[in-house]
Amino acid sequence: MTTPASSQQAPARGARPRKPPPTPFAIGGMIGLVAFTLVTAWDWTFGIGFNPLEIPGEFRDSNPQMVEGLFNITDAEWRAEYAARLSAAFIDPESPLLISFDSRIGRGLLETIHIAVIATILGSAISLPLCIANSKVGAPNPVARVVIKLLNNANRAIPDIIWASVFVVLVSVGALPGILALTMFTIGVVVKLTSDTVDGIDMGPVEAAHAVGASHPNAMRVAVVPQVLPAYAAFSLYAFELNLRGAVILGFVGAGGIGEAFNYYWSRLEFEGVSVVVFVFLVVVIAIERISIGVRRRLI
Amino acid sequence: MSRTETPAERHVRESVRPEKPFARFRWTVTVVVLGVFLWSTLTVDAAWGRLLQAPERAWTFLVLVIENASLAPLLIALEDMWISVAIAWIATIIGVVLSFPLIFLAAYNLVPRWIVQPVRQVLNVFRAIPEIALAIAFVPFFGLDPVTAALAMGISSIGTLGKLSAEIVEDIDRGPLEAVEASGGGWLSKVRWGVLPQAMPEIAAFWLYRFEINVRVSAVLGVIGMGGIGTFVQEAMRFNDYERIGLGLVVVVVVTILIDTVSSALRRRLIAGVPVSVDAKRQQIPDGTSSP
Repeated sequence: MTTPASSQQAPARGARPRKPPPTPFAIGGMIGLVAFTLVTAWDWTFGIGFNPLEIPGEFRDSNPQMVEGLFNITDAEWRAEYAARLSAAFIDPESPLLISFDSRIGRGLLETIHIAVIATILGSAISLPLCIANSKVGAPNPVARVVIKLLNNANRAIPDIIWASVFVVLVSVGALPGILALTMFTIGVVVKLTSDTVDGIDMGPVEAAHAVGASHPNAMRVAVVPQVLPAYAAFSLYAFELNLRGAVILGFVGAGGIGEAFNYYWSRLEFEGVSVVVFVFLVVVIAIERISIGVRRRLI
Repeated sequence: MSRTETPAERHVRESVRPEKPFARFRWTVTVVVLGVFLWSTLTVDAAWGRLLQAPERAWTFLVLVIENASLAPLLIALEDMWISVAIAWIATIIGVVLSFPLIFLAAYNLVPRWIVQPVRQVLNVFRAIPEIALAIAFVPFFGLDPVTAALAMGISSIGTLGKLSAEIVEDIDRGPLEAVEASGGGWLSKVRWGVLPQAMPEIAAFWLYRFEINVRVSAVLGVIGMGGIGTFVQEAMRFNDYERIGLGLVVVVVVTILIDTVSSALRRRLIAGVPVSVDAKRQQIPDGTSSP
C-alpha cells in the first residue's frame, strides 16, 4: 500500500509520458498539403482561381435563361410546363411532345444500356485469361506479367471518354466506338482488381491438378478459375455500373448513347431538354446501381 | 468358389464418382448473360462491319501521330494537365471538408440509429448523382470553368468519402471509446481521443485514393469544355491536330501513372505508420516506469 509520502518520492511513476515530436514526414506532409492547396486554388497562371467566398456572388450573377431552363425555379407556370413535359416523355403516349422527346431520349437510353452491356461482357471475357496471365500462378515467366501490367496501367491511365474519341477517329461515329472504348475500360478495371484475387488463392488445388498430370491450361481451368469466379463476377458487375455511368457521356464525342441527345439539346441551348435527359439518366443509374448491389451481395 | 471382397476392393467399387449435380444458378446466369449479350449485339445500331477497317485506320492514325510527333506544344499540354490535377485536388479538398463532419454522424458505433439512417440516405443521394449531372447543373452559375468542375466533383465525392470513412470508423476497436466514456469524456472527446487516432490513417489514405480517381474524372469533365487536359485532347481531336493528340495522350498516361505511384506509396506509408525500432520505443518511456 502506498502512503502519500512514498508517492511524493517517486513523482515519475504516474507522470504522463512525453509526447513524441512530430516526425519529419508529418511536418513535411502538412506544409506540402497547405502549399499545394494554395497553389492550385489561387487565381493565377497555375491555379484555377477557386475562392469559397465568391460562391454566393456567383449564384447572384447566374445566367437566368439557363437557370430557368434547367431548373424552372423562377416561374410557377414554367414549373407546370416542365412537369407536363417530363410526364409526356414517359407516360402519355398521345402527347406530341413524346415524339420530340421520347424518340431521341428513349433511343439514346436504350443505346446507352446496349453499349454498357456489350462492353462489360466483351471486356470481362477478354479479361479472364489476362488476369490469370497477370499472376504468378498463371505466368511463372515474369516477362508476360510485366508486359501485361505495363500495358494495363497505360490503358487505365487514359479516361474512357478519351478512348472514345480515339475510337471515333478509328471507326467513325456511332455506338461502335463507344463499345470499344468501354471494353478497354472494363479490361482495365477487371484485370486490375481480379489479378489481386488470383494472387491470393489457395495453391492446394493447383498443386493437386499438376500432381495428377494436368496441362497448364487445364490446371488453370479446374484449380484457379473456380476459386476466383465469385470475385471476378462481382468485379464485372461493378465494371457494369461504371460503364453505365461512362456510357452516358460518350455521346459528347460522337460515340453513341443518350449523350447524343444531351449534346443535341445542349448545342441548341434547349435547357429543358438537357434537364429531362439528365433526369432520365439519374433515374436509370440509381435503379441499376440498386439492382447491381443486390446481385453482388448474393455473389460474395 | 468366389473369393470374398477385401475392404480395399470394396472401397474402390463404392468410390465411383458421384453424379454432378445440376447447377441451376450457374445455368441461369449463363443463359441470362448470353441472352442479354445476343439481344444487345443484334439490336444495337453499331455498324460492326467498320471493325474490319479499324486495324488499317489504326495504323494510319499511329503513323500520322508518329510523323507529326514534336515537343513544341509540350509546355501547353503540361500546363493543361496541371490544371486537371489542380481541379482534382481542389475537388478532393472540398469533398473532404464537407464530408468530414458527416463521417461521425453516419457511424453506428457513435450515434443512435435514427441519426445514422437519414445521414446515410443523404450520402447515398450524393453517391448516386454522377459528377457530370452536377457539373451541368452548376454551369449556369459558374460557367464552363475549372471551378465548376472542381465544385461538382467535390460535392459528388461527399457520398463515397462519407460512406467509406464511416465504415472505417465502425471497424475500430471499442476499447479506447469505453476508456474515454469511463473517464467522463463527452461525445466530442470520444471522437477526438477514441476514434480519430485509430481511424485517421485509413481515412487519410482513402482521401488520397479519391484524389487519384478525381484526376481521371477531371480529364473527363475537360472533354465537355471545363478546362484541363481533357479539353486539350478533345480540341486536338476535333481539328485533327495529330501533333497535339499524340503528345496529349502521352502526357495523360505518364502523369496519371506518376500520380498513382506517388499516391499509393504515400497511402502505404500512412497505413503502415512510422517504422519504430524497439530501442527507440524504450527511450521514450520515462525512467520511473521502465523497470518494475
